[in-house]
Amino acid sequence: MSDRVADAAKLDLTEAYFEKPKRLQTASGFPVKELYTPEDLQASDYPRNVGDAGSYPFTRGVHHNMYRGRFWTRREVCGYDTPSSTNERLRFLAETGVSGLGFHIDLTTQFQMDADHPRAEGEIGVVGVPLYSIEDMEDLVQGIAQDKVSMIIIECSCIASAVLLAQYIAVAEKRGLDPSKLRGTSMNDPLHGRISCNFIPQNPIGLALKMATDITEYCTKYMPFWNPTNVNMYDLRETRINAAQEIAFAFSIATTYIDAAIQRGLDIDDFAPRRAFYVSANIDFFEEIAKMRAARRMWARIMKEKYKAKSPDSWRFRFGVHTAGHSLTPQQPLNNIVRVAYEALAAVLGGAQSISPTGYDEPVAIPTEQAHAIAVRTQQILAYETGVTNVADPLGGSYYIESLTDRVEEEAGKILAEIDEMGGAVGALESGWFIRQEEKALQEWQEEIDARKRIVVGLNSFVVPEDKTPGGYHAVDPRAQRLMIDKVRRLKDTRDNQRVRQAIDNLRREADKGEKHNLMPVILDAVKASATLSEIAGTIREAYGYSYDVLDVMKSPF
Amino acid sequence: MKKAVAARNIRVLIAKVGLDGHDTGIKVLATALRQAGMEVIYLGLYQTPEGVIKSAVEEDVDVLGLSFLSGGQLTYTPKIVEMMRQSRLDNVLLLVGGVFPREQIPALRQMGVDQVFVGSPLEEIVSYIHANVGRKQPAG
Repeated sequence: MSDRVADAAKLDLTEAYFEKPKRLQTASGFPVKELYTPEDLQASDYPRNVGDAGSYPFTRGVHHNMYRGRFWTRREVCGYDTPSSTNERLRFLAETGVSGLGFHIDLTTQFQMDADHPRAEGEIGVVGVPLYSIEDMEDLVQGIAQDKVSMIIIECSCIASAVLLAQYIAVAEKRGLDPSKLRGTSMNDPLHGRISCNFIPQNPIGLALKMATDITEYCTKYMPFWNPTNVNMYDLRETRINAAQEIAFAFSIATTYIDAAIQRGLDIDDFAPRRAFYVSANIDFFEEIAKMRAARRMWARIMKEKYKAKSPDSWRFRFGVHTAGHSLTPQQPLNNIVRVAYEALAAVLGGAQSISPTGYDEPVAIPTEQAHAIAVRTQQILAYETGVTNVADPLGGSYYIESLTDRVEEEAGKILAEIDEMGGAVGALESGWFIRQEEKALQEWQEEIDARKRIVVGLNSFVVPEDKTPGGYHAVDPRAQRLMIDKVRRLKDTRDNQRVRQAIDNLRREADKGEKHNLMPVILDAVKASATLSEIAGTIREAYGYSYDVLDVMKSPF
Repeated sequence: MKKAVAARNIRVLIAKVGLDGHDTGIKVLATALRQAGMEVIYLGLYQTPEGVIKSAVEEDVDVLGLSFLSGGQLTYTPKIVEMMRQSRLDNVLLLVGGVFPREQIPALRQMGVDQVFVGSPLEEIVSYIHANVGRKQPAG
């Protein structure tokens, strides 16, 4: 035989050809059958348990015509270096074709530091946009018509949440805009921050609930198009908990905020219609769709049966989706484009109101323009080419999907009841239960990866050596640190410091008036007087018996 | 002087320096190291370079491991390396890992990091420590 014939005889794909799946359960561990039939739906009661889209219990969608009435909002979030740099990216995203904007803050702002804080240098603008004062917010939204865009403010720190909203409102007012026309969302979910990103020192539970309620109360009165909270199920899921836990943990937190608002004296139907959620879209395709359907049904029931909300708007589980960062790999990052596409599709079939697919470089650094552009194109292809937008809940009635929806709901309900028994989210936070569950989930997930019971392409299978990030990666601008430090120093030197002191004194006086006294108006005044986020937050913290500085490294300058 | 590391369990100090609160990776690493028989001192979050070095000296560790996700690796590593030199921690292995571009690995090695682990299987980290601990020769 010639060498070439001999060589050809060596290539053998038999094993690959006959291979079959080894993992016969969902990502959450629910075993799945090879086929589902009408028998699996025998117990299903369409009018009671499923319903049409737009009808209680909203299993099939919050609106009767879903995307025929309006596409989901195509959103990407950004934030890096300086407010001006982030402004450039916001405009780039708009040009690329998003239909909503958003930004996330950097760690110094999350920690309520000014740029001149002793521990700030090196952290300014690295993972988000620093926003210390009204002038930073002005730079951020330069050239953006605030009354003509939907904006999400992503933060994880209870007082920062209020101050950033106040900054956004203050800039709008300065431009002659009516704040009641502003459309957007404050994340305002400080409790989840404690258990998903370790944002603990800036979110003491009592103060967090007070600030969260202040924001809800204020927006309910003055900002009818603003979602005062976006309960962040996404971050919780990133800790490796499963789909049922994602719902249960988040709902226990969401109901805690509702209870606090009711205690404040708000009427459920006044604020419930503007409750919103931020949901993960993970890689187990059908389970994620089932999860979203289950969440809608569960939430509707909680609102109607537990809280006796009367308005159908109060029963609707509205949500934005962020595709799951932890499902992506730093290995062979271009593969993440595919993962994100599947996850975004799940979000559409799951009926999301807004979708933010991640960049393919998410496991490496914050997104480059190219990664962001591909994420936008992913959404556009979904919206314009695939046809999946034309029918509400197209998977409704599937024997598998309805069974899986029931299964996820059942499991989530059990966990939620368990959390209720321990005093709700606050009880679970104080006892450390959430953290223990997360650590258990993380350990199991890691063991499955190590044992190759959970295959992740490029990570524990189909591994190739590599040393470069395709398309390059986002590099932090080293000048941003100095720029922001100098800028905030200049602000403090040139502003009317008399006015600032008065505003801070006022803030302290108001903060001493007790938990039920809404601080948003006086925060707004302080923002307009050019007090910094750090100064405002520190003053409120002190009034509540906490250290001025989150890390207790510096004292109040007042 | 080379440490007689074989005579006792390998002592590893791991920490997160700066404001980054992502501890998923460091938690699974701590478990893997403990399962491999090492003594792990997890210093926790929000550490300063000074605090980490102080503990490394006090705990007489063989390995110092830092985990970064939110971009701190290039900022804090040079400070750590310098302080290790000043504190005569020359035969302590310095390892850095986490979520950041692979392209930064050569720069980190240049700074004085012994090995960088980005997206590495946990056994690779464990094996590296077993193979290299106690091997560093102190300068001059």
